[in-house]
Amino acid sequence: MVNEILFVAVVLFLIGIIGVLIRRNIFTVFMSIELMLNAGNLSFIAFSKDLALNSGSSIAMIVMAVAAAEAAFGLAIALLIYKHKNSLDIDLLNLIKG
Amino acid sequence: MEFFTIAFSVLAIGGAIGLLFFKHPLHGAMSFLVTLLSVAGFYALLSNKFLFILQIIIYAGAIMVLIMFVIMFLNVREKELIDENFLVNKFILGALLLAPFAYLLFSSVANYTPQNIALAEDFGTIQSIGLNLFTEWMFTFELISILLLGAVVGAVVVAQKESKNG
Repeated sequence: MVNEILFVAVVLFLIGIIGVLIRRNIFTVFMSIELMLNAGNLSFIAFSKDLALNSGSSIAMIVMAVAAAEAAFGLAIALLIYKHKNSLDIDLLNLIKG
Repeated sequence: MEFFTIAFSVLAIGGAIGLLFFKHPLHGAMSFLVTLLSVAGFYALLSNKFLFILQIIIYAGAIMVLIMFVIMFLNVREKELIDENFLVNKFILGALLLAPFAYLLFSSVANYTPQNIALAEDFGTIQSIGLNLFTEWMFTFELISILLLGAVVGAVVVAQKESKNG
């Protein structure tokens, strides 16, 4: 069972990377990052059950706290970008392009 | 047990693909919620009761509601959305680019032999996770509190600057 769940975690992680690569909507990119964090958490919990260690659960809790901090600050930045550019397109953010 | 594993796998991957292909971010958020809840189901299958509750309360409850609140606050209409063309073609290109990385991850997962170590009686309870968190991960825990404080102060400062300028 652990192998199947790790397999699902890998698939979710790859879908998250593809979402960051191909989507331009800032909220979808944001949620793709959350998806990658979740996939990492899932593999931590799977290994924590398989090896009967509680450290996996502790790390997963810490990752959740990081995700909460990311949501609080990232959404403030998203709001600022929308007010500044009047669009959700992250391809417009090319100010430091050479 | 086997039925739930397959059902949660299908729901999790289906929700993630929905997030990838739905044009409107709110539809994507709804689809992502399905993924989060099925990941919570996986935590329950892995006999981790406390993380199961945390996943539902913090992820599906707090973080996703915050994201949906901001999406609804901006109130983006269907015609104001960016027209993202050729999503399927881009998906195939992205999958091709990721193929070596995917091969590495999949082969390492396939080669892993489960240890199946017997679980202690109190595995996954609040008490055992809390004891572990406050002994082994004490320093990390303190760093997280500083990170959260910094994020809150940063969000307030960023929002304040915007209202001052106009």
